Amino acid sequence: MKTLLFYLLFPVLLCLAFAGKTGYEFLYPDYFPTPVYDFSKNPLSTERVELGRVLFYDPILSKDGAISCASCHSPYNGFAHTDHDLSHGIADQIGTRNAPPLFNLAWHTSFMWDGAINHLDMQALAPISHPKEMGENIENVVRKLQHIPGYPGLFYRAFGDSLITGEHVLKALSQFQLTLVSAHSKYDNVKKGKTQFSQPEENGYALFQKNCNSCHREPLFSNFGFANNGLPVDTTLYDFGKGQITQRKEDSLKFKIPSLRNLSYTYPYMHDGRFRRLSEVLSHYTHGIQENETLAAELKTPLSLTPDEKTDLIAFLLTLNDSAFVFDPKHQFPKEILQPGEGLLKQ
Amino acid sequence: MFSNFVFAQSAPGNIRFNLTFGSQPVEIGKNYYSPATGDSIKLEVVKFYISHLQFFRDNIPLAVLKKQHMLVDAGNPETLHFPIPEEAAGKFNRVVFNLGTDSLTNVSGAFGGDLDPTKGMYWAWQSGYINLKLEGVSKACPARNHYFQFHIGGYQSPFPSCQIIDLPAIAKNDLTIEVALDSFFSQVNIAETYQIMSPGQQAVSFARLFASLFSLAK
Repeated sequence: MKTLLFYLLFPVLLCLAFAGKTGYEFLYPDYFPTPVYDFSKNPLSTERVELGRVLFYDPILSKDGAISCASCHSPYNGFAHTDHDLSHGIADQIGTRNAPPLFNLAWHTSFMWDGAINHLDMQALAPISHPKEMGENIENVVRKLQHIPGYPGLFYRAFGDSLITGEHVLKALSQFQLTLVSAHSKYDNVKKGKTQFSQPEENGYALFQKNCNSCHREPLFSNFGFANNGLPVDTTLYDFGKGQITQRKEDSLKFKIPSLRNLSYTYPYMHDGRFRRLSEVLSHYTHGIQENETLAAELKTPLSLTPDEKTDLIAFLLTLNDSAFVFDPKHQFPKEILQPGEGLLKQ
Repeated sequence: MFSNFVFAQSAPGNIRFNLTFGSQPVEIGKNYYSPATGDSIKLEVVKFYISHLQFFRDNIPLAVLKKQHMLVDAGNPETLHFPIPEEAAGKFNRVVFNLGTDSLTNVSGAFGGDLDPTKGMYWAWQSGYINLKLEGVSKACPARNHYFQFHIGGYQSPFPSCQIIDLPAIAKNDLTIEVALDSFFSQVNIAETYQIMSPGQQAVSFARLFASLFSLAK
Protein backbone atom coordinates (compact mmCIF):
# COMPACT_ATOMS: atom_id res chain seq x y z
CA MET A 1 0.00 0.00 0.00
CA LYS A 2 2.78 2.35 0.95
CA THR A 3 4.58 1.60 -2.30
CA LEU A 4 1.42 2.21 -4.30
CA LEU A 5 0.90 5.50 -2.53
CA PHE A 6 4.46 6.44 -3.31
CA TYR A 7 4.02 5.77 -7.02
CA LEU A 8 0.74 7.66 -7.03
CA LEU A 9 2.32 10.60 -5.26
CA PHE A 10 5.61 10.45 -7.09
CA PRO A 11 4.72 12.92 -9.87
CA VAL A 12 3.31 15.27 -7.22
CA LEU A 13 6.47 14.98 -5.14
CA LEU A 14 8.55 15.55 -8.22
CA CYS A 15 6.62 18.74 -8.99
CA LEU A 16 7.04 19.91 -5.42
CA ALA A 17 10.74 19.19 -5.50
CA PHE A 18 11.18 21.22 -8.65
CA ALA A 19 8.83 24.09 -7.88
CA GLY A 20 10.73 27.25 -8.64
CA LYS A 21 13.94 25.32 -9.00
CA THR A 22 15.03 26.19 -12.52
CA GLY A 23 18.26 27.85 -11.55
CA TYR A 24 18.85 31.40 -12.72
CA GLU A 25 22.46 32.40 -13.04
CA PHE A 26 23.15 35.90 -11.76
CA LEU A 27 25.83 37.26 -14.06
CA TYR A 28 27.98 40.34 -13.63
CA PRO A 29 31.45 41.41 -14.79
CA ASP A 30 34.49 40.45 -12.72
CA TYR A 31 35.34 44.13 -12.10
CA PHE A 32 32.03 44.61 -10.24
CA PRO A 33 32.21 44.22 -6.45
CA THR A 34 30.42 41.38 -4.65
CA PRO A 35 26.65 42.02 -4.50
CA VAL A 36 25.21 43.25 -1.21
CA TYR A 37 21.90 41.43 -1.67
CA ASP A 38 21.86 38.10 0.20
CA PHE A 39 20.76 35.67 -2.53
CA SER A 40 20.84 32.74 -0.09
CA LYS A 41 17.66 34.12 1.53
CA ASN A 42 15.90 34.45 -1.83
CA PRO A 43 17.57 32.14 -4.35
CA LEU A 44 16.89 33.18 -7.95
CA SER A 45 14.93 30.84 -10.18
CA THR A 46 13.52 31.34 -13.66
CA GLU A 47 9.96 30.86 -12.37
CA ARG A 48 10.36 33.43 -9.58
CA VAL A 49 12.02 35.99 -11.84
CA GLU A 50 9.21 35.51 -14.36
CA LEU A 51 6.54 35.90 -11.68
CA GLY A 52 8.28 39.06 -10.48
CA ARG A 53 8.26 40.41 -14.03
CA VAL A 54 4.51 39.78 -14.38
CA LEU A 55 3.84 41.50 -11.02
CA PHE A 56 6.09 44.41 -11.99
CA TYR A 57 4.02 45.09 -15.10
CA ASP A 58 0.56 44.34 -13.66
CA PRO A 59 -1.46 47.43 -12.62
CA ILE A 60 -3.47 45.18 -10.30
CA LEU A 61 -0.91 46.23 -7.68
CA SER A 62 -2.49 49.70 -7.54
CA LYS A 63 -5.78 50.59 -5.87
CA ASP A 64 -7.65 51.49 -9.05
CA GLY A 65 -5.80 49.14 -11.40
CA ALA A 66 -4.31 52.06 -13.32
CA ILE A 67 -0.66 52.11 -12.31
CA SER A 68 1.96 49.37 -12.38
CA CYS A 69 5.55 49.54 -11.16
CA ALA A 70 6.51 49.99 -14.81
CA SER A 71 4.34 53.11 -15.12
CA CYS A 72 7.06 55.12 -13.38
CA HIS A 73 9.90 52.66 -14.00
CA SER A 74 9.76 52.10 -17.73
CA PRO A 75 12.25 49.69 -19.29
CA TYR A 76 12.91 52.06 -22.20
CA ASN A 77 13.97 54.77 -19.75
CA GLY A 78 16.40 52.62 -17.79
CA PHE A 79 13.41 51.93 -15.52
CA ALA A 80 13.01 55.62 -14.68
CA HIS A 81 10.27 57.98 -15.91
CA THR A 82 11.46 60.17 -18.75
CA ASP A 83 10.03 63.68 -18.90
CA HIS A 84 8.45 63.43 -15.45
CA ASP A 85 10.23 65.52 -12.87
CA LEU A 86 8.10 64.07 -10.06
CA SER A 87 6.46 60.65 -9.83
CA HIS A 88 2.98 60.21 -11.18
CA GLY A 89 0.50 58.02 -9.28
CA ILE A 90 -3.16 56.93 -9.33
CA ALA A 91 -5.84 59.51 -10.20
CA ASP A 92 -3.16 61.72 -11.83
CA GLN A 93 -1.61 62.60 -8.52
CA ILE A 94 1.91 63.97 -8.50
CA GLY A 95 4.37 62.92 -5.81
CA THR A 96 7.32 64.78 -4.36
CA ARG A 97 10.32 62.95 -5.83
CA ASN A 98 11.72 61.83 -9.18
CA ALA A 99 11.25 58.11 -9.84
CA PRO A 100 14.81 56.74 -9.81
CA PRO A 101 16.05 54.31 -12.47
CA LEU A 102 16.27 50.62 -11.53
CA PHE A 103 19.41 48.68 -12.33
CA ASN A 104 22.28 47.04 -10.48
CA LEU A 105 20.04 46.97 -7.40
CA ALA A 106 21.89 43.96 -5.93
CA TRP A 107 24.67 46.40 -5.02
CA HIS A 108 22.51 49.05 -3.33
CA THR A 109 22.83 49.30 0.44
CA SER A 110 19.58 51.25 0.90
CA PHE A 111 16.67 52.47 -1.21
CA MET A 112 14.72 55.65 -1.94
CA TRP A 113 16.24 59.13 -2.24
CA ASP A 114 16.22 59.44 1.55
CA GLY A 115 17.36 55.88 2.33
CA ALA A 116 14.13 55.14 4.21
CA ILE A 117 14.10 51.54 2.99
CA ASN A 118 16.82 49.17 4.18
CA HIS A 119 16.24 46.14 1.93
CA LEU A 120 15.17 45.58 -1.67
CA ASP A 121 12.48 43.09 -0.56
CA MET A 122 10.73 45.76 1.48
CA GLN A 123 11.04 48.57 -1.05
CA ALA A 124 7.90 47.73 -3.02
CA LEU A 125 5.76 48.27 0.09
CA ALA A 126 6.43 52.01 -0.09
CA PRO A 127 5.06 52.75 -3.60
CA ILE A 128 2.26 50.17 -3.15
CA SER A 129 1.06 51.95 0.00
CA HIS A 130 1.76 55.59 -0.84
CA PRO A 131 -1.55 57.42 -1.40
CA LYS A 132 0.01 59.43 -4.24
CA GLU A 133 1.55 56.40 -5.91
CA MET A 134 -0.38 53.11 -5.96
CA GLY A 135 -2.64 53.88 -2.97
CA GLU A 136 -3.05 50.20 -2.13
CA ASN A 137 -1.86 47.93 0.68
CA ILE A 138 -0.05 44.61 0.57
CA GLU A 139 -2.90 42.74 2.33
CA ASN A 140 -5.27 43.76 -0.44
CA VAL A 141 -2.76 43.04 -3.19
CA VAL A 142 -2.43 39.47 -1.89
CA ARG A 143 -6.23 39.12 -1.69
CA LYS A 144 -6.71 40.37 -5.26
CA LEU A 145 -3.96 38.16 -6.70
CA GLN A 146 -5.33 35.08 -4.95
CA HIS A 147 -8.62 35.54 -6.82
CA ILE A 148 -7.20 36.09 -10.30
CA PRO A 149 -7.14 32.82 -12.23
CA GLY A 150 -3.56 32.14 -13.16
CA TYR A 151 -1.77 33.82 -10.30
CA PRO A 152 -2.06 30.96 -7.77
CA GLY A 153 -0.52 28.70 -10.44
CA LEU A 154 2.33 31.11 -11.10
CA PHE A 155 3.03 31.33 -7.35
CA TYR A 156 2.88 27.56 -7.10
CA ARG A 157 5.42 27.15 -9.87
CA ALA A 158 7.65 29.78 -8.30
CA PHE A 159 7.43 28.95 -4.60
CA GLY A 160 5.73 25.55 -4.41
CA ASP A 161 2.67 27.09 -2.74
CA SER A 162 -0.44 28.41 -4.46
CA LEU A 163 -1.46 30.24 -1.28
CA ILE A 164 -0.14 33.73 -2.02
CA THR A 165 1.68 35.57 0.77
CA GLY A 166 3.15 39.04 1.16
CA GLU A 167 6.58 37.48 1.52
CA HIS A 168 6.33 35.75 -1.85
CA VAL A 169 4.97 38.81 -3.66
CA LEU A 170 7.85 40.90 -2.35
CA LYS A 171 10.51 38.28 -2.99
CA ALA A 172 9.31 37.72 -6.56
CA LEU A 173 9.40 41.47 -7.24
CA SER A 174 12.94 41.54 -5.82
CA GLN A 175 13.99 38.68 -8.07
CA PHE A 176 12.91 40.41 -11.27
CA GLN A 177 14.50 43.69 -10.21
CA LEU A 178 17.76 41.94 -9.26
CA THR A 179 18.07 40.66 -12.83
CA LEU A 180 18.17 44.25 -14.12
CA VAL A 181 21.94 44.34 -14.43
CA SER A 182 23.44 47.10 -16.55
CA ALA A 183 26.96 46.06 -17.57
CA HIS A 184 27.09 46.38 -21.35
CA SER A 185 27.80 50.05 -21.93
CA LYS A 186 30.74 51.26 -23.99
CA TYR A 187 32.54 51.87 -20.68
CA ASP A 188 32.03 48.19 -19.86
CA ASN A 189 33.27 47.13 -23.26
CA VAL A 190 36.39 49.23 -22.75
CA LYS A 191 36.86 47.58 -19.35
CA LYS A 192 36.47 44.19 -20.97
CA GLY A 193 39.09 45.12 -23.58
CA LYS A 194 36.60 44.91 -26.45
CA THR A 195 36.86 48.51 -27.59
CA GLN A 196 38.59 51.81 -26.83
CA PHE A 197 37.47 55.27 -25.77
CA SER A 198 37.71 58.09 -28.32
CA GLN A 199 40.04 60.95 -27.41
CA PRO A 200 37.26 63.20 -26.00
CA GLU A 201 35.90 60.22 -24.00
CA GLU A 202 39.40 59.46 -22.71
CA ASN A 203 39.83 63.10 -21.64
CA GLY A 204 36.40 62.99 -20.03
CA TYR A 205 37.28 59.80 -18.15
CA ALA A 206 40.32 61.54 -16.64
CA LEU A 207 38.15 64.53 -15.63
CA PHE A 208 35.57 62.15 -14.18
CA GLN A 209 38.18 60.35 -12.10
CA LYS A 210 39.52 63.65 -10.80
CA ASN A 211 36.19 65.36 -10.07
CA CYS A 212 33.36 62.85 -9.68
CA ASN A 213 34.65 59.41 -8.76
CA SER A 214 34.70 59.84 -4.97
CA CYS A 215 30.88 59.80 -4.83
CA HIS A 216 29.92 58.38 -8.25
CA ARG A 217 32.43 55.59 -7.85
CA GLU A 218 33.10 53.26 -10.77
CA PRO A 219 32.23 50.67 -11.88
CA LEU A 220 28.69 51.14 -10.52
CA PHE A 221 29.08 54.94 -10.62
CA SER A 222 27.78 55.45 -7.11
CA ASN A 223 29.12 54.61 -3.68
CA PHE A 224 25.42 54.45 -2.66
CA GLY A 225 26.07 56.91 0.13
CA PHE A 226 24.18 60.12 0.86
CA ALA A 227 25.31 63.67 0.22
CA ASN A 228 24.14 67.24 0.09
CA ASN A 229 25.25 68.36 -3.37
CA GLY A 230 24.40 72.01 -2.80
CA LEU A 231 21.03 72.20 -4.54
CA PRO A 232 18.98 75.15 -3.29
CA VAL A 233 15.84 73.94 -1.48
CA ASP A 234 12.80 73.89 -3.77
CA THR A 235 10.33 76.00 -1.80
CA THR A 236 7.36 74.22 -3.36
CA LEU A 237 8.54 70.91 -1.87
CA TYR A 238 10.72 71.65 1.20
CA ASP A 239 12.34 68.25 0.90
CA PHE A 240 15.16 67.71 3.41
CA GLY A 241 15.91 64.16 2.31
CA LYS A 242 17.60 61.79 4.72
CA GLY A 243 17.25 64.25 7.61
CA GLN A 244 13.48 63.74 7.54
CA ILE A 245 13.98 60.04 8.16
CA THR A 246 16.78 60.04 10.71
CA GLN A 247 15.69 63.29 12.44
CA ARG A 248 19.38 64.16 12.60
CA LYS A 249 20.57 67.66 11.74
CA GLU A 250 23.72 66.34 10.10
CA ASP A 251 21.59 64.41 7.56
CA SER A 252 19.58 67.44 6.48
CA LEU A 253 19.44 67.91 2.68
CA LYS A 254 21.31 64.67 2.04
CA PHE A 255 20.01 62.51 -0.79
CA LYS A 256 21.13 59.17 -2.11
CA ILE A 257 23.96 59.44 -4.64
CA PRO A 258 22.56 58.13 -7.93
CA SER A 259 24.47 56.02 -10.44
CA LEU A 260 25.59 57.82 -13.60
CA ARG A 261 24.84 54.86 -15.85
CA ASN A 262 22.16 55.27 -18.53
CA LEU A 263 21.90 59.05 -18.17
CA SER A 264 20.56 59.51 -21.71
CA TYR A 265 17.53 57.42 -20.79
CA THR A 266 16.85 58.59 -17.25
CA TYR A 267 16.43 62.36 -17.46
CA PRO A 268 15.34 64.59 -15.80
CA TYR A 269 17.99 64.58 -13.07
CA MET A 270 18.24 65.09 -9.30
CA HIS A 271 15.83 63.96 -6.55
CA ASP A 272 13.19 66.41 -7.78
CA GLY A 273 13.98 66.13 -11.49
CA ARG A 274 14.88 69.81 -11.70
CA PHE A 275 17.47 69.52 -14.49
CA ARG A 276 16.50 68.29 -17.93
CA ARG A 277 19.98 68.34 -19.50
CA LEU A 278 23.41 67.09 -18.47
CA SER A 279 24.84 70.52 -19.29
CA GLU A 280 22.57 71.99 -16.60
CA VAL A 281 23.84 69.41 -14.13
CA LEU A 282 27.45 70.33 -14.86
CA SER A 283 26.62 74.04 -14.58
CA HIS A 284 25.20 73.34 -11.15
CA TYR A 285 28.49 71.77 -10.05
CA THR A 286 30.55 74.64 -11.47
CA HIS A 287 28.35 77.64 -10.62
CA GLY A 288 25.22 76.64 -8.75
CA ILE A 289 26.32 75.02 -5.49
CA GLN A 290 24.73 76.59 -2.44
CA GLU A 291 26.94 76.61 0.62
CA ASN A 292 25.38 75.31 3.83
CA GLU A 293 26.18 73.27 6.92
CA THR A 294 25.78 69.80 5.48
CA LEU A 295 27.29 70.46 2.03
CA ALA A 296 29.54 67.58 0.89
CA ALA A 297 33.20 68.27 1.71
CA GLU A 298 34.09 67.39 -1.89
CA LEU A 299 31.95 70.28 -3.15
CA LYS A 300 33.16 73.06 -0.80
CA THR A 301 35.19 74.20 -3.79
CA PRO A 302 33.00 74.15 -6.89
CA LEU A 303 34.17 72.17 -9.89
CA SER A 304 36.22 74.15 -12.37
CA LEU A 305 35.66 73.03 -15.97
CA THR A 306 36.35 74.82 -19.25
CA PRO A 307 33.68 74.53 -21.99
CA ASP A 308 35.89 71.96 -23.76
CA GLU A 309 36.29 69.99 -20.58
CA LYS A 310 32.52 69.97 -20.08
CA THR A 311 32.10 68.59 -23.60
CA ASP A 312 34.67 65.88 -22.91
CA LEU A 313 33.15 64.99 -19.56
CA ILE A 314 29.73 64.62 -21.16
CA ALA A 315 31.28 62.48 -23.93
CA PHE A 316 32.57 60.16 -21.23
CA LEU A 317 29.26 60.12 -19.35
CA LEU A 318 27.51 59.05 -22.56
CA THR A 319 29.74 55.96 -22.69
CA LEU A 320 27.80 54.81 -19.60
CA ASN A 321 24.64 54.40 -21.67
CA ASP A 322 23.77 50.74 -21.93
CA SER A 323 21.37 50.25 -24.82
CA ALA A 324 21.73 46.46 -24.62
CA PHE A 325 20.28 46.70 -21.11
CA VAL A 326 17.62 49.28 -21.93
CA PHE A 327 16.28 47.35 -24.90
CA ASP A 328 16.71 43.84 -23.51
CA PRO A 329 13.43 42.01 -24.29
CA LYS A 330 13.91 39.82 -21.17
CA HIS A 331 13.10 42.88 -19.07
CA GLN A 332 10.13 44.10 -21.03
CA PHE A 333 6.38 43.70 -20.74
CA PRO A 334 5.59 39.95 -20.49
CA LYS A 335 3.09 39.97 -23.35
CA GLU A 336 2.94 36.20 -23.47
CA ILE A 337 1.42 36.19 -19.96
CA LEU A 338 -0.13 39.62 -19.40
CA GLN A 339 -2.36 41.52 -21.79
CA PRO A 340 -2.68 45.30 -21.56
CA GLY A 341 -6.15 46.16 -20.32
CA GLU A 342 -7.00 42.49 -19.85
CA GLY A 343 -4.63 41.44 -17.10
CA LEU A 344 -3.27 37.98 -16.64
CA LEU A 345 -3.99 35.54 -19.44
CA LYS A 346 -5.45 32.24 -18.24
CA GLN A 347 -2.62 29.88 -17.46
CA MET B 1 -17.90 19.12 25.52
CA PHE B 2 -17.55 21.50 28.42
CA SER B 3 -15.01 19.33 30.19
CA ASN B 4 -12.94 19.20 27.01
CA PHE B 5 -12.94 22.94 26.93
CA VAL B 6 -11.78 23.17 30.53
CA PHE B 7 -9.11 20.60 29.85
CA ALA B 8 -7.83 22.57 26.84
CA GLN B 9 -7.69 25.69 28.93
CA SER B 10 -5.59 24.12 31.65
CA ALA B 11 -3.59 21.63 29.58
CA PRO B 12 -0.09 21.34 31.04
CA GLY B 13 2.92 22.53 29.10
CA ASN B 14 1.59 25.85 27.84
CA ILE B 15 2.86 29.34 28.16
CA ARG B 16 -0.02 31.78 28.06
CA PHE B 17 -0.34 35.53 27.77
CA ASN B 18 -3.19 36.76 29.88
CA LEU B 19 -4.18 40.29 28.86
CA THR B 20 -6.12 41.95 31.65
CA PHE B 21 -7.82 45.22 32.46
CA GLY B 22 -8.18 45.39 36.25
CA SER B 23 -9.65 42.09 37.27
CA GLN B 24 -11.16 41.40 33.83
CA PRO B 25 -9.69 39.69 30.76
CA VAL B 26 -9.20 42.02 27.79
CA GLU B 27 -11.78 41.74 25.05
CA ILE B 28 -11.53 43.76 21.88
CA GLY B 29 -14.38 46.26 21.53
CA LYS B 30 -15.48 46.03 25.16
CA ASN B 31 -15.65 49.09 27.43
CA TYR B 32 -13.60 49.16 30.60
CA TYR B 33 -13.80 51.72 33.34
CA SER B 34 -10.49 53.40 33.88
CA PRO B 35 -10.07 54.85 37.39
CA ALA B 36 -7.07 56.81 36.09
CA THR B 37 -9.01 58.84 33.52
CA GLY B 38 -12.39 58.52 35.19
CA ASP B 39 -13.98 57.46 31.91
CA SER B 40 -14.38 54.33 29.85
CA ILE B 41 -11.72 52.89 27.61
CA LYS B 42 -12.41 50.70 24.62
CA LEU B 43 -9.52 48.75 23.12
CA GLU B 44 -9.72 48.14 19.37
CA VAL B 45 -6.23 46.76 18.62
CA VAL B 46 -3.75 45.14 20.98
CA LYS B 47 -1.00 43.35 19.05
CA PHE B 48 2.65 42.79 19.82
CA TYR B 49 5.57 40.63 18.82
CA ILE B 50 7.19 38.25 21.28
CA SER B 51 10.50 36.92 20.01
CA HIS B 52 13.36 34.61 21.04
CA LEU B 53 11.57 33.25 24.06
CA GLN B 54 14.06 31.27 26.15
CA PHE B 55 13.63 29.07 29.18
CA PHE B 56 16.28 29.04 31.90
CA ARG B 57 17.01 27.26 35.11
CA ASP B 58 18.80 30.06 36.97
CA ASN B 59 21.46 30.99 34.40
CA ILE B 60 21.44 27.74 32.45
CA PRO B 61 19.54 27.92 29.15
CA LEU B 62 17.23 24.92 28.77
CA ALA B 63 15.36 25.60 25.55
CA VAL B 64 14.37 28.22 23.04
CA LEU B 65 10.87 28.37 21.65
CA LYS B 66 11.12 27.03 18.10
CA LYS B 67 8.89 29.71 16.66
CA GLN B 68 11.21 32.70 16.88
CA HIS B 69 8.66 35.45 16.31
CA MET B 70 5.09 35.31 17.51
CA LEU B 71 2.47 37.91 16.88
CA VAL B 72 0.26 38.05 19.94
CA ASP B 73 -3.16 39.50 19.10
CA ALA B 74 -5.73 40.17 21.82
CA GLY B 75 -8.41 39.72 19.16
CA ASN B 76 -7.31 36.18 18.31
CA PRO B 77 -7.24 33.74 21.27
CA GLU B 78 -5.23 31.24 19.18
CA THR B 79 -2.24 33.56 19.38
CA LEU B 80 -2.19 33.84 23.17
CA HIS B 81 -0.60 30.51 24.06
CA PHE B 82 2.31 28.33 22.96
CA PRO B 83 3.49 24.88 23.98
CA ILE B 84 6.51 24.78 26.27
CA PRO B 85 9.37 22.73 24.75
CA GLU B 86 9.93 19.31 26.34
CA GLU B 87 13.51 20.12 27.35
CA ALA B 88 12.26 22.90 29.60
CA ALA B 89 9.00 21.48 30.90
CA GLY B 90 8.92 21.35 34.68
CA LYS B 91 12.54 22.44 35.00
CA PHE B 92 12.65 26.12 34.18
CA ASN B 93 12.48 28.86 36.75
CA ARG B 94 13.04 31.84 34.52
CA VAL B 95 11.80 33.01 31.08
CA VAL B 96 13.50 35.66 28.97
CA PHE B 97 12.03 37.10 25.78
CA ASN B 98 11.92 40.15 23.59
CA LEU B 99 8.92 42.39 23.39
CA GLY B 100 9.36 43.22 19.73
CA THR B 101 11.58 42.15 16.84
CA ASP B 102 15.37 42.27 16.95
CA SER B 103 17.40 44.54 14.70
CA LEU B 104 18.70 41.70 12.51
CA THR B 105 15.14 40.73 11.60
CA ASN B 106 14.45 44.35 10.73
CA VAL B 107 17.22 44.52 8.14
CA SER B 108 16.96 41.06 6.54
CA GLY B 109 14.22 41.49 3.95
CA ALA B 110 10.87 39.75 3.64
CA PHE B 111 9.74 36.97 5.97
CA GLY B 112 6.61 34.84 6.05
CA GLY B 113 4.38 33.58 8.86
CA ASP B 114 3.79 36.02 11.69
CA LEU B 115 6.39 38.35 10.18
CA ASP B 116 4.66 38.58 6.79
CA PRO B 117 4.08 42.27 5.97
CA THR B 118 0.42 41.45 5.29
CA LYS B 119 -0.01 41.19 9.08
CA GLY B 120 -0.14 44.98 9.20
CA MET B 121 2.88 45.16 11.48
CA TYR B 122 5.38 46.59 8.99
CA TRP B 123 5.88 50.23 8.10
CA ALA B 124 5.72 50.95 4.40
CA TRP B 125 7.23 54.47 4.40
CA GLN B 126 10.33 53.50 6.36
CA SER B 127 11.71 50.02 6.82
CA GLY B 128 11.02 48.36 10.11
CA TYR B 129 8.51 46.29 12.03
CA ILE B 130 5.89 47.80 14.24
CA ASN B 131 6.72 45.95 17.44
CA LEU B 132 3.44 46.72 19.11
CA LYS B 133 0.14 48.33 18.29
CA LEU B 134 -2.29 49.69 20.83
CA GLU B 135 -5.40 51.46 19.55
CA GLY B 136 -8.73 52.36 21.04
CA VAL B 137 -11.17 54.99 22.20
CA SER B 138 -11.06 57.14 25.32
CA LYS B 139 -13.12 60.30 25.86
CA ALA B 140 -10.02 61.86 27.37
CA CYS B 141 -8.20 61.53 24.04
CA PRO B 142 -8.48 64.77 22.03
CA ALA B 143 -7.84 63.10 18.63
CA ARG B 144 -10.52 62.64 15.98
CA ASN B 145 -13.27 60.33 17.29
CA HIS B 146 -11.28 60.19 20.57
CA TYR B 147 -9.20 57.50 18.90
CA PHE B 148 -5.73 56.89 20.29
CA GLN B 149 -3.12 55.08 18.20
CA PHE B 150 0.25 53.83 19.29
CA HIS B 151 2.36 52.08 16.64
CA ILE B 152 5.64 51.44 18.38
CA GLY B 153 8.74 50.37 16.50
CA GLY B 154 12.22 51.41 15.47
CA TYR B 155 15.37 49.29 15.53
CA GLN B 156 18.13 51.80 14.82
CA SER B 157 20.37 53.45 17.34
CA PRO B 158 19.77 55.67 19.26
CA PHE B 159 16.10 54.63 19.40
CA PRO B 160 15.80 50.83 19.41
CA SER B 161 12.36 49.96 20.74
CA CYS B 162 12.73 46.21 21.29
CA GLN B 163 12.63 45.40 25.02
CA ILE B 164 14.09 42.41 26.86
CA ILE B 165 11.76 40.98 29.48
CA ASP B 166 13.24 38.69 32.10
CA LEU B 167 10.73 37.05 34.45
CA PRO B 168 11.27 34.63 37.31
CA ALA B 169 8.92 31.67 36.97
CA ILE B 170 7.81 28.87 39.18
CA ALA B 171 9.16 25.57 37.93
CA LYS B 172 5.94 23.93 36.85
CA ASN B 173 4.51 22.93 33.52
CA ASP B 174 2.14 25.79 32.93
CA LEU B 175 3.10 29.40 32.87
CA THR B 176 0.82 32.41 32.66
CA ILE B 177 2.24 35.82 31.96
CA GLU B 178 -0.07 38.67 32.78
CA VAL B 179 -0.14 41.90 30.79
CA ALA B 180 -1.95 44.49 32.90
CA LEU B 181 -3.25 47.05 30.42
CA ASP B 182 -5.11 49.10 33.05
CA SER B 183 -1.74 49.96 34.50
CA PHE B 184 -0.76 51.51 31.17
CA PHE B 185 -3.66 53.96 31.34
CA SER B 186 -2.83 54.91 34.92
CA GLN B 187 0.71 55.83 33.81
CA VAL B 188 0.03 57.57 30.50
CA ASN B 189 -1.97 60.77 30.30
CA ILE B 190 -4.08 59.96 27.25
CA ALA B 191 -5.18 63.60 27.01
CA GLU B 192 -1.59 64.53 26.18
CA THR B 193 -0.02 61.42 24.68
CA TYR B 194 -2.35 59.68 22.27
CA GLN B 195 -0.50 59.20 19.00
CA ILE B 196 2.96 57.76 18.42
CA MET B 197 3.55 56.31 14.98
CA SER B 198 7.25 56.64 14.24
CA PRO B 199 10.56 55.64 15.83
CA GLY B 200 12.09 58.02 18.35
CA GLN B 201 12.50 58.82 22.04
CA GLN B 202 8.74 58.76 22.66
CA ALA B 203 8.46 55.30 21.09
CA VAL B 204 11.30 53.99 23.26
CA SER B 205 9.69 55.35 26.45
CA PHE B 206 6.38 53.82 25.41
CA ALA B 207 8.01 50.43 24.74
CA ARG B 208 9.68 50.49 28.16
CA LEU B 209 6.40 51.29 29.85
CA PHE B 210 4.58 48.56 27.94
CA ALA B 211 7.29 46.05 28.89
CA SER B 212 6.72 46.91 32.56
CA LEU B 213 3.11 45.68 32.25
CA PHE B 214 4.33 42.08 31.94
CA SER B 215 4.45 40.05 35.13
CA LEU B 216 4.12 36.51 36.31
CA ALA B 217 0.50 35.73 37.16
CA LYS B 218 0.02 35.01 40.84
